Amino acid sequence: MAEQQRLAVSTFSLMRNTPPQIHRAQKDLKLRMQEGTIVSFTTVHHVPEGFPTGPRVIGLIELEDGSKVTGQLITDNRQPTTIGMKVLPKMRLSRINNQGLRTYDVSYEIPVQQTVKNEFPGYVLALTGPSGVGKTTVSILLSTKVGKYVERVPILTTREPKEGDEDEYTHVSSEEFLELKNSGKLATFTSIPSRNEKRLYGYKIKDIEAIWKQKKIPVIITEMNLLQGLASHYGRRSILSFGLMPPGKSKRQMLSALLHRLRERGRDTEQQIEDRLKNAEEDLKFFKERRELFDDLIVNDNLDTVVGHLGGLVLERMKA
Amino acid sequence: MRSPIYLTGTGQTRFGEHWDMSIKDLMEEAIDSAIESAQCTALDIDMVVVANMLGEVASDQAHLGAMAASLLPHHPPALRAEAACASGSVALHTACALLESGKAETVLVIGVEKMTDISPAKIAAGLMGAADAEKDAPSGLTFPGIFGLIASRYMHEFNLTREQLNLVSARHHENAMSNPFAQFRKEIPAEAISMSPKVADPLCMLDCSPISDGAAAVILSTKKENPIRIAASQLATDTLSITDRPTITSFAATKDAMAAALEEAGINQSDIDHLELHDCFSIAALISLEDMGFANPGEGISLYEKKGKMTINQSGGLKACGHPVAATGIKQIIDISKQMKRSGRTYGLAHNFGGAAATCGVHILSHA
Repeated sequence: MAEQQRLAVSTFSLMRNTPPQIHRAQKDLKLRMQEGTIVSFTTVHHVPEGFPTGPRVIGLIELEDGSKVTGQLITDNRQPTTIGMKVLPKMRLSRINNQGLRTYDVSYEIPVQQTVKNEFPGYVLALTGPSGVGKTTVSILLSTKVGKYVERVPILTTREPKEGDEDEYTHVSSEEFLELKNSGKLATFTSIPSRNEKRLYGYKIKDIEAIWKQKKIPVIITEMNLLQGLASHYGRRSILSFGLMPPGKSKRQMLSALLHRLRERGRDTEQQIEDRLKNAEEDLKFFKERRELFDDLIVNDNLDTVVGHLGGLVLERMKA
Repeated sequence: MRSPIYLTGTGQTRFGEHWDMSIKDLMEEAIDSAIESAQCTALDIDMVVVANMLGEVASDQAHLGAMAASLLPHHPPALRAEAACASGSVALHTACALLESGKAETVLVIGVEKMTDISPAKIAAGLMGAADAEKDAPSGLTFPGIFGLIASRYMHEFNLTREQLNLVSARHHENAMSNPFAQFRKEIPAEAISMSPKVADPLCMLDCSPISDGAAAVILSTKKENPIRIAASQLATDTLSITDRPTITSFAATKDAMAAALEEAGINQSDIDHLELHDCFSIAALISLEDMGFANPGEGISLYEKKGKMTINQSGGLKACGHPVAATGIKQIIDISKQMKRSGRTYGLAHNFGGAAATCGVHILSHA
């Protein structure tokens, strides 16, 4: 049930949504599972009822066999989408109807442009999850427990230092950040808009490599865009990737667990907490939609268990 | 035309938001004013053709033929025509066929649409019925989305800039200032168009025709002579889905209907003095000008950069006059006839399409 609630279940009378209609639509899905080229694309800002809210990028795609289709485009925010780009098909859960019938549809993904890496640089432990789920706490405990083998990578950010930041951030100005980015010194970066400004976040290649030199595993606290960037920079197999989920059987319970933690932490104003919860919903959705980016999704209901599990994994890798 | 068809009466409601009027009230106002302007009485009407797309979606009302006929004292035979936004021209074409066949001598054609009663999301879903429900809708496309795809491709192929595209809606708003029936009688500077909220990149809110209520009626007759005649009535169709077309920056149905209409009227496109074209989205105006042969491919914008001899969308077009979908094709005929009466010039053309031009109707009017 929790899964179903995470996707918008809504009543939309005019979409093809009855079992026989969905059944017929499934028949030609296979035909659309082809590589293609973008003929045109647009961002629809008011999506029809029944689809996830928020802007949706839709492409007109010419497939390999010459036929054309329309489909959702999964864009890569590190390179601008242009007409003529190649795309790969990807089956995604599109919506769930009122009877609980799950409809899958083909969307098209712009492959991340990357040079194939033959060498394996080493492991990176990445913790992804909504704010307040306990990523920082887990990483601190991990470095006390198996500190010999792991070290945290500082997050490079342009946002103002705050009380309670501890040592997890390296603060730089926007100019310095862009300088590092343009000279290729960042493993990955992203910009997260906030109410007043655009904040940039990223990791320095130098910081990560320094940890490898000490024969340790870098621990990275990340979010969805940074995780995708890391996976494309170092290769997916280099990332020991874990999603941390708040405890709770439904999305509502999970969000309420986060709300309590954020309030207890006392770092944010109510306004900021509201924003963080909105982002948290996106994060929870991301776990589901991009499950392949995670080795495991862990519910953070007991810190000892989580840290024990991750610590054990680190020891296993170090011994191997 | 096998026998001359005269435009004997015209009438319309103002286009806009009519909160206090139902679909029937809108029809009644347009029909009454059409009959009042005609050289005949209500009892001369042999048949009624109603154009409507969204009666069921927005008003839970089908069976509009009988509804329109019941507004006349003698309940003449009636039928309804639907072809999305081209419903109006399909109804006109049907009426011409009835007149040419001799089945009727005087026909009332009424286009009506009531769109503001339901939420924008519901009306958008209803309008999406004009596209292919199996091929276009499941990706989450909306109609602005379809024209967003078209505009994005057009700009890519022809290097049209966003600033140039702004000129289209700005001109239509300027024109609407002098139309008492227009929904938006308000000038909007060109630079404001692209500053309005994004709807489907690169299209913004002010590139899109509005949601409107309205009705427009004409009375066509083979018996009641009038200086204004229907010189040509032609329809053409294309695939319902844009995915089945070789190109999306040109509409084959417009080309086909235009060629057939010019042939029927026995004129060239350079003879046209007044043009009302289907600018459901700004980009559609440019593509239509090119498909009708008024500009070369990619150069439609030149007719908005400077004014020529032929007037374009003097009524304000769909953008500024409003777009109660099925009424539009009939409203265009009314506007063309007014423009010809005022200028004394000879030929006017109404271009009206449905969906992404899956149906296109072209009507040419001549003024004796």
